[in-house]
Amino acid sequence: MKRYHIQHLALALSIALLSACNLSKDVEIDLPDYERQPVVECYLEPGKPFRLLLTRSYAFFDTLGLSSNFLQNALFDGAFVTISYNGQTDTLKNQLTLVPNPIKVFNYVGENLVPTAPGTSFSLFIRLPDGGEIRGNTTMLSVVPIDSIIVEPNAAGDTLARMLTYITDDQSKENFYRRLLNYSSLDSFPDQDFLVTDRFSQTASIAIGTGYELKQGDTVFNTIFHVTKDYYDFKESVDLAVIGNLNPFAQPSPIKSNVSGSANPVGIFTVLVYDRDTTIVEW
Amino acid sequence: MNYLKLFPLTFLFPLLAEAQNATVSGSIRDSQNGETLIGATVQAVGLGKGNASNEYGFYSLTVPTGSDSIELKFSYIGYQTFNTKILPKGDVKLDIQLLPVGAMLQEVVVKANALDEKRKSTEMSVSTISTKEVKALPALFGETDIIKILQLKPGITPGSEGTTGLFVRGGNNDQNLIVLDEAVVYNANHLFGFFSTFNSDAVKDLKVYKGGFPAQYGGRLSSVIDVRMKEGNNKKLSGTGGIGLISSRLTLEGPIQKDKSSFIISGRRTYADIITEAINRGNADDPEFNKIPRYFFYDLNTKVNFTLSPKDRLFLSGYFGRDVFTFKDPTFDFRFDWGNATGTARWNHVFGPTLFANTTFTYSDYRYKIQNELQGFSFSLGSNVMDANTKVDFYWQPNNTHTVRFGANTTYHDFVTARLQAGSDDGKVRFEAGREYDGWEYGAYAADEWAIDRLKLSYGLRLSMWQNDPAFYANVEPRLAANFEASKRLSVKASYARMNQYVHLLASSGLSLPTDIWYPTTTGVKPQVSDQVAAGFSYLFGDQILVTWEAWYKWMQNTVDFKDGAELFGNNDLENELTIGRAYAYSPLELEIEKKEGRLTGWIGYTLAWVKRGDFPDIDNGAWFAPRHDTRHNLSVVALWDVTRWRKRGKEKSLQLTATFVYTSGYPAWLPSGRASFTDFPGAQPQFVVPIYGPRNTFRYPAYTRSDLGIVYKWKNRKGMENDLTLSVYNATDRRNPYFITIAVETETTAVGEVPFEIRARQVSLFPILPSLTWNFKF
Repeated sequence: MKRYHIQHLALALSIALLSACNLSKDVEIDLPDYERQPVVECYLEPGKPFRLLLTRSYAFFDTLGLSSNFLQNALFDGAFVTISYNGQTDTLKNQLTLVPNPIKVFNYVGENLVPTAPGTSFSLFIRLPDGGEIRGNTTMLSVVPIDSIIVEPNAAGDTLARMLTYITDDQSKENFYRRLLNYSSLDSFPDQDFLVTDRFSQTASIAIGTGYELKQGDTVFNTIFHVTKDYYDFKESVDLAVIGNLNPFAQPSPIKSNVSGSANPVGIFTVLVYDRDTTIVEW
Repeated sequence: MNYLKLFPLTFLFPLLAEAQNATVSGSIRDSQNGETLIGATVQAVGLGKGNASNEYGFYSLTVPTGSDSIELKFSYIGYQTFNTKILPKGDVKLDIQLLPVGAMLQEVVVKANALDEKRKSTEMSVSTISTKEVKALPALFGETDIIKILQLKPGITPGSEGTTGLFVRGGNNDQNLIVLDEAVVYNANHLFGFFSTFNSDAVKDLKVYKGGFPAQYGGRLSSVIDVRMKEGNNKKLSGTGGIGLISSRLTLEGPIQKDKSSFIISGRRTYADIITEAINRGNADDPEFNKIPRYFFYDLNTKVNFTLSPKDRLFLSGYFGRDVFTFKDPTFDFRFDWGNATGTARWNHVFGPTLFANTTFTYSDYRYKIQNELQGFSFSLGSNVMDANTKVDFYWQPNNTHTVRFGANTTYHDFVTARLQAGSDDGKVRFEAGREYDGWEYGAYAADEWAIDRLKLSYGLRLSMWQNDPAFYANVEPRLAANFEASKRLSVKASYARMNQYVHLLASSGLSLPTDIWYPTTTGVKPQVSDQVAAGFSYLFGDQILVTWEAWYKWMQNTVDFKDGAELFGNNDLENELTIGRAYAYSPLELEIEKKEGRLTGWIGYTLAWVKRGDFPDIDNGAWFAPRHDTRHNLSVVALWDVTRWRKRGKEKSLQLTATFVYTSGYPAWLPSGRASFTDFPGAQPQFVVPIYGPRNTFRYPAYTRSDLGIVYKWKNRKGMENDLTLSVYNATDRRNPYFITIAVETETTAVGEVPFEIRARQVSLFPILPSLTWNFKF
């Protein structure tokens, strides 16, 4: 379930209060010294090449890594990267790759395709040019399909409708999901993006809805990712870190990574498992 | 003016007399409204004997029997001193009523010797605040607030601007035992902590113990804040009220049976929602208009008391308050409400001239609930804590050298933590979470205050127990205090107190939110324990200025914090989210200079203190860090000046100027040390600035400084109705104090989306200069 309702509410009240007056100003902040860390982002997608993005973090107000040279400045090249699975090990080449629709960038790419069998385990190993090491492990979950999508107006004759998306949850174990809803294209800013856990679900059926905001003919990309607990914790900690930096009512959080090693990395190594439905809205 | 009328109601009857001594006892009250007076003094002139009325207005004084009459002198803050003579051939019951001194034209008046009495007392680390002081001082939005005045006392910091947070001597916000007529108030806040639940019109006074806790108190580590409601005027029907920027108040009080019983009912409500609802209605036909959510809060205080017999009084009081936030349209029905309810039934019984008993039953409830209704679906989330408490306290004064207190209490606690219910109306989709706990808390105590010439010793023991099957804890809490009167002006004091806390507030931030959850002690979450030692002196300059210096050290065990990234809502196993550690705080210098008499009154408070928390296995590997309320220097100056008073066309008038000044060192903050970028899942937007947080609270905000000014213009019409117009100017210098620091990210469009090219820190301030005008009346 969404867990930040109250903090957002409090923040909204505060911002409403502050917006009436000019009560903010730029200030110089002197933060403690920070040692840059490698940042790993690897989402294996079944049936697609092994791809990984390795970048560097920066001191918070560091101007390096900003501007149009963002990518070049951020990329961490020259590392030795392997992924092991089903008894074999693939080495990923240091090669900048841009994938369109939606746009994604990788700087380490393998030649083989990611297996499609749920339950497959993967191990990541990275050796950095300075000898620092990074390791991570993950397992491919099975897709949880979208059972049904219902589009309904609040009342007959209304020009706006809502969309209800139903999935069937395996109640024998704890499951985690991420829901994304994009209008028009997958490159658009998602209208919904949140994590869901079945921890408190009393029924196998889980419904996720929108507000009454859809018009006839709208195109909706409706995605349900089945994610690991590692990923759930990582994503939640990233959200908390972002909110904690903006909201005085929120408690910040360090990023909970599932990669570790002597290189002191942050990041995530997981498998993308999802069901996506593209709906033209009509009722 | 004739302020010197006295109304002694004297009921004399002999009781069993000791061979050489007799006891004079009774109650001390206000002659105009019958309110009992707490801490009023009685002295046997020329005998060097004296005492003070207890928290129920009861006093007892032992004097030698004989054929000579003895002169007794009764005095109290803001009241005309009363002298009378008795012939003590046996025990004497003497009920006294004191006349307030020129109430309208001199609100902040204090009895002669009030500061000297404070100097002589074994009590240390104590502050008392009267509602008269509270009403005169400038306030945010003109909303006078007794808790915010408390923050101006040394040793107490608010934690954040504008809020009613109380961090006492390094303790957390949940370590304050706040009681209203002896019933615990679990969340003494409105509007996310910007206002407290205490309506100044209904409150008689407030006393805070920061250390040296008397044995009758237990259950929290850092302070006891004892708020007493008025009892109601038992002479005549009267009322007070006010219209302010945020809220309006109205209080009615009067006799049920004159001099025997009385009532008081007091209400307060905000009215911003009346305006916002009118705006919503006016724009109902505009499809582009975004409806404004509705918010309001209200309080209702009631109390009745009955004099059942010369020895028995019964009090019934209650409080009910709620904050309500709603938003409703044809497809969305959201409601978020929270608040406290308390009830107190109290029976005072006088067994004899030296023994007094108070038996109390209290009920407390705090709850919040968030509800949302959508077509076919509903959602609700709530928590609550409920107490039912029974206690009995005895006050026994066998002679003038010993004052003995003993008693016991039992409290049943019931907790519901984060109960979540969500799903579809047809039952096909359903989420449920939340747990219920209960626990029994027991306490028994005995304490004696022993006056040995120039040395006064207060020593006691409290036994506290907690039972929450299978958890059981029993703890002994020693309490010691001493006052050595080195000279007629100088007293040296010291104290030690151990406290245990069996209920814990799980707060997701340093601020007080209505969704914070109270959690019981269990086998996994042990009682919090504190030990505090304090030493200092009080010196009286003339009879008007008291200087009190104290140094203290407090160490706390089993303090509770959240693990990083803990989930507070919708969690059936909150204990897994907690981590247990320790804390300590100390101050070599906590200074208060008080002036309570004359046209210029007020105080200066300064505290130099350090606070640390650590040893939490899940926070920075147990490293010690400064919590948010670790502010090194805290200075507050409070001044009230009676400028002038005059009479015009038969109307009495007066003008008073008030001012407060606050300086606080910058408080620690947890800011990110690094940042990372994540491209994220396909379909999600890349996050180019994800903060990386290192060790906690390594950054300190700039210092906080604020000056407030107030002008109080009072007039009394020919019919006796008192009025005042109070102009408050909050943050009179319009200083931009830091509330929090956020970031501003400038971006540009690239092939991979919007990427940042500049990150700046922005300091956000909360309140600019804020003038407000309040009209108060009394009839």
